[in-house]
Amino acid sequence: MTEALLLLWVVSGILILQEQTVYRMVIYLGVFSLITTIIFLFQGAPDVALASASVSGFSTIFLVVCFEKYYGFRDKPVRRKSFRAHFKPAQIAQGLAALAFCVIMCLMFIRFIPGGYASTYLMYQYITMFQSDVGGENAVTAIYLAYRLYDTVFEALMLVVSVVAVVHLSRFDELSFDDGEQSEVRHSKIAIRTIRCICSVIILFGIYLIANGHISPGGGFQGGVAIAVFFVCRYMIFNIYDIKINTVLKDEKIVFLGIILVAVFAIFLGVHQYFPYQHLPLFQTIYMLMMNTLIGIKVALGFLMLFYRYVAVDRRR
Amino acid sequence: MRMMEIVPIVVFFMGMFGLMTSKNIIKSIACLVLLEMAVIVFILGLAFRTGILPPVGQSLENVYSVADPLPQALMITAIIIGLAVTAIDFTMIINLVRRYKSTDWDEVKAMSTENFDEC
Repeated sequence: MTEALLLLWVVSGILILQEQTVYRMVIYLGVFSLITTIIFLFQGAPDVALASASVSGFSTIFLVVCFEKYYGFRDKPVRRKSFRAHFKPAQIAQGLAALAFCVIMCLMFIRFIPGGYASTYLMYQYITMFQSDVGGENAVTAIYLAYRLYDTVFEALMLVVSVVAVVHLSRFDELSFDDGEQSEVRHSKIAIRTIRCICSVIILFGIYLIANGHISPGGGFQGGVAIAVFFVCRYMIFNIYDIKINTVLKDEKIVFLGIILVAVFAIFLGVHQYFPYQHLPLFQTIYMLMMNTLIGIKVALGFLMLFYRYVAVDRRR
Repeated sequence: MRMMEIVPIVVFFMGMFGLMTSKNIIKSIACLVLLEMAVIVFILGLAFRTGILPPVGQSLENVYSVADPLPQALMITAIIIGLAVTAIDFTMIINLVRRYKSTDWDEVKAMSTENFDEC
């Protein structure tokens, strides 16, 4: 079963590589991400699978909407002429050299895979200790909210920096942004009707993931992306830009400050190994819920910001 | 055979081959996504055993049948950062397309060097 799934994975990768039209390539990319998600499930990683599923769904919608509006997406082939007319002999030689390089490097890497399995000492520590140290029932959430809290804080910082970078890189002189306008683009009626049915389920799913992140697979990141997908669906249905970009950016920074404050507070109280209130699981639960909610809001605002920025840029072409 | 480690390496080099040879800018980004996913599957696959269980639950008695939670926590971070990086890539692409009205690497390169000479 696993082998069949991996074979399917490789085939979908080859489909991406050989495809000549952008639109179909984006759809194949979605298929590739879906199969990757199932592989994560087989590897015993439902949290990663949820994150991958929501991120791949978001990025596929994102790509389709943005490039449809911006690039026209008139399913035109990347390479119009026949193979022989398109490629010069020098280019074919370069391609063959690249292929040879990749095959040789691939064989070398496969040859030097170390034998034996990864060390299980740290894993044993985490799995046996996390319930008394941090609380909750999900070891992954326990790790990214307590044992490796710095990682989470810097990841949130990375997201803020990337959103700011996107805002500043896509600032064109001739464009001004006024919010609350109706878009000119008309989406397909079938798609809108389907999205109307699905979108309430999506936001419920996002809230469920955030609220149950500490006792079941899920958490702040996954739920946040699901909520961002809900707002994207809302845009698709009503076709309106009523979200003020500057307000969203400000809110995101405030929520990021909240994450840092809660994290620092928790570190000084000692949430992990030296937690002084081990007999108070309520405190632990409140901490995890609070962090998950803050991370969820922050991720949702960040991705919402990215999406609206592209759509708003694409609108005035 | 340890398929969970061999196949991601193959997909990684497929993505690298695509990056080396693709003529379209958007396709290069797709290959970058391919590469990133391959790395994530490889890192999770290092501890793969058949019949592995997720590290979620009240009582995890048989510790050695449970997946390692540490790489999973790190890979969630990697996925979110990967999407952020992809978004920045798209911003750069949109800038290029606005400027040169083309998504072909060769045309964009030719036009950008022309402009450079004019300056």
